[in-house]
Amino acid sequence: MTRRIPLPVWLTSLLLYVFLYAPIAVVIVYSFNAARYGGPWRGFTLRWYQSLLDNADKVAAARNTIVLGLASTAVSTLLGTGLGYGLSRYRFPGKRLFAWLMYIPVVIPDIVMAVAMLMFYALARDLLGLFELGMTTMVIAHVTFQIPFVAIVVRSRLVGMDPAIEEAAHDLGATSWQTFRHVTLPQILPAVVAGAMLAFTLSLDDFVVSFFTTGPGATTLPILIYSSVKRGITPDINALSSIIVLVSVVGTVAVALLQRPPRTEGTKT
Amino acid sequence: MGDPAPAARLRPARREIRFGEALTPLQGLARSALTAGPAIGWVTLFLLLPLLGIVLFSVLTRGPYGELQLPFTFGSYSRLAGFGLFGFDPQYPLIILRSVVLAAGTTAVCLLAAFPLAFFIAGLPGRAKGIALTLVVIPFWTNLLIRTYAWQILFAPDALLTRAAVAVGLAEEGMPLYPSAFAVYVGMLCAYLPFLVLPLYTAVEKIDWSIAEAASDLGADGRRVFRHAILPQVMPGMVAGMILVFVPATGQFVIPDLLGGAKTVLIGNAIQQQFGASRDWPFGSAIALVAMALVLLGLWLQTRTAGKRGEEGLL
Amino acid sequence: MKRIAPGTFAAAALAALALTSCSGKKEEPAPAGQAAAPAAAPKPAEPCQLNLFIWSEYMDPEIVKAFEAKHSCKVTIDLYEDNESMIAKLQGGGTSLYDVVVPGNYVIPAMVKLGLLAPLRKENIPNLKNLDDKFVNPPYDKDNQYSAAYQWGTVGIFIRPKKGQKVDETWGLLFDPKMAKQAGAFLLMDSIREMMGSALKYKGYPANTSDPKQLQEIGKLLGDAKKRSQGFEGGVGGKNKVLARAANAAVVYNGDAVKGTKDDPETYYFVPREGGIIWVDNLAIPAKAPHRDVAEKFIDFILDAKIGAQLSDFNQYATPNKASRELVNADDKKNPAIYPSAEMMQKLEFVVDLGDKNRLYDEIWTQVKSR
Repeated sequence: MTRRIPLPVWLTSLLLYVFLYAPIAVVIVYSFNAARYGGPWRGFTLRWYQSLLDNADKVAAARNTIVLGLASTAVSTLLGTGLGYGLSRYRFPGKRLFAWLMYIPVVIPDIVMAVAMLMFYALARDLLGLFELGMTTMVIAHVTFQIPFVAIVVRSRLVGMDPAIEEAAHDLGATSWQTFRHVTLPQILPAVVAGAMLAFTLSLDDFVVSFFTTGPGATTLPILIYSSVKRGITPDINALSSIIVLVSVVGTVAVALLQRPPRTEGTKT
Repeated sequence: MGDPAPAARLRPARREIRFGEALTPLQGLARSALTAGPAIGWVTLFLLLPLLGIVLFSVLTRGPYGELQLPFTFGSYSRLAGFGLFGFDPQYPLIILRSVVLAAGTTAVCLLAAFPLAFFIAGLPGRAKGIALTLVVIPFWTNLLIRTYAWQILFAPDALLTRAAVAVGLAEEGMPLYPSAFAVYVGMLCAYLPFLVLPLYTAVEKIDWSIAEAASDLGADGRRVFRHAILPQVMPGMVAGMILVFVPATGQFVIPDLLGGAKTVLIGNAIQQQFGASRDWPFGSAIALVAMALVLLGLWLQTRTAGKRGEEGLL
Repeated sequence: MKRIAPGTFAAAALAALALTSCSGKKEEPAPAGQAAAPAAAPKPAEPCQLNLFIWSEYMDPEIVKAFEAKHSCKVTIDLYEDNESMIAKLQGGGTSLYDVVVPGNYVIPAMVKLGLLAPLRKENIPNLKNLDDKFVNPPYDKDNQYSAAYQWGTVGIFIRPKKGQKVDETWGLLFDPKMAKQAGAFLLMDSIREMMGSALKYKGYPANTSDPKQLQEIGKLLGDAKKRSQGFEGGVGGKNKVLARAANAAVVYNGDAVKGTKDDPETYYFVPREGGIIWVDNLAIPAKAPHRDVAEKFIDFILDAKIGAQLSDFNQYATPNKASRELVNADDKKNPAIYPSAEMMQKLEFVVDLGDKNRLYDEIWTQVKSR
């Protein structure tokens, strides 16, 4: 049911969107700026976009970043949803303790996590010969810090859910799996997707953990960007970011338009 | 599986009814293992065990070349408490306090912004909801450093925003709007907003408005309707979002450095300095562990008080 | 909302697959191009590979391509932005991942003691003879057992003088409150040893002192300067802010400053008359480098006279190679910002790792930053 949105809420929200996109607008504008060091405007140019196409390293890094993001998001969404569901539905020995420990990836400073994982991989390599630094080790590291974010969001949605519908489903003879798939999952899906989006964002922006767990040839964009930024934002980074934003916006709108409209608009839990 | 009825009469299986299902303790355990098990196993293996290594580091000695050495010592912890080479100086407790204040301030600002946004998005028609929500997140797929540098440009002396501030009398002519506390909070809001909006939205989206309508029908004014009919419904999502902002924000240091002129030391700076330039891993580990312990303690306390009040805790 | 999940993931996954197949082709050209170049050495039986771990914008891509062509090798470059990250990476297993790293002079003794570096086999690096005397048998690495100098430089002040202003070339611009007007809005360097070392030189103390009283004095000096400053920045950030007129002066590395002056001739760089810090970055080979022979060939290649000059022309830092110095472009050769006068060289000090005494610097720095 769509409620009428009061005007102050409209205005504030619009203002917030402008606020969120202001830095993006700057990035896009500066991707056309002929000044090399991000100084004042020195004329319009497309040469930074051109240099991107010629730069195999940056394209490879972009590819690595997306593959890493998708792979880690997929795994962490699965595991995190399970965790959120399990913590809110079932009781088991040590549940309180484990739930509390699951906050550690959220609390832990990046560098400490990076060092901890690096040492773990080094030990595993010495003892078992596994875990050569590269894409796999990065995915594992990313999944590790993404899981709690997904779990927390999913759990918060489950906590407020009315159990009556699930109980009704069971009463009517549905098995646990059927209940989950047809009753619970649709209700928590927004939380699962929100958690996945958070996870993806975390992965896309991670530098410290990625730097320490990557290997030669598996460099990601954040690592490249961080290095560039320390040297001064090269405008081709602005160009690359603009492309990412453009693709994301177009992709989102396209996907939304391609969807079937929701079936049961009027029914609420 | 045989005939359950005679067995049930002989040895009544203790079944607990949860959410409409009658489960034996064993079944409950199996379910837990299936759902929460993989995640717990993963995090335990890849993070909690290595973390024990960090705990070990914190009680080792730093050798002259930055290597880790025996003997075991609590020197790092006593240094954290303030007993340095130049006498007693409580700089580290102050550093921790400063970080907590920044994180709390950020959470408050994000709350103020997230509520209108969440209600706005929840009020949009079907497909627009998804677009609007994803539009909130898309800026975060641009690198944080780049966005923060963009804020430096937006706060430069001759930028539109700065000139507006000068016109209103809030800023000096010719000076940029950063480094300043204002700039830092703007940067932090920009960085942490989706972590509050997303969970809050998932709660707002399923608000039962009939309760609010009933409340207002019964004579409650807008504020009371919000406080008693709406707020309790969004509480889980709101609290989840607050945690997801507050906890990581205590460790944030890049934004305060870039928009605050790197003039101050926060927990993140301190830890970075010890793992970085000073190569004192024992001390860095100690700082990290104490900071983490404090935040986790806070979470635990919150759960206990929430439990006593009959509300849902975070655990 | 409820239907987005499968759709979005599918679309994104398709996009990722598409990108994967596209970029795959782009990486072919490098090896294919080498077939045409005459191979100086007989072609190796297995594909030749070199993993370089280096600071960003420090290596000329043309030099890399030339090496790839000459030795029929593929070079992968990974980047880092500070010595300590590189060391941490090596300690965590990077010693068997990378073939060449570029450590700063003051971490080399520590890296040797930690067993992170492999000794150089001098017979494979004949071009070592090209190194300038100052960098042969340097104090931080006896007999060049583990390293060969790569580039060196100084830390000084990059400033945009006001019209007609004659700049007094002293660290006092930053540290003396009476000179505030001359300096304008300034930035300090966010780097412990370089910034504290510069302050120590201002006061006439040794840049590597371990006298607690002197260090406390410096701490107070820096704390006061911090209050007057616009904050701390890395060298490049400071240079960019001066160029963008967001600050008037900054403490920067000379190479960045030279690039800045090229971009905006109103600015200029100097090392103050009290002296300052000199630093040297070096090429070294990690202990368990997978391609040690190729690594040594690479170091030899870089030490070639022409290549060394090309490198310095690219990154505008000073070359430690006496043969290359002749071939560096004329303007750079004459530029005191890159090659300080002999008189100034006397006043420059290397930063030395002080072992346990490092903690003194760390504590003072934390005090400066957190007050």
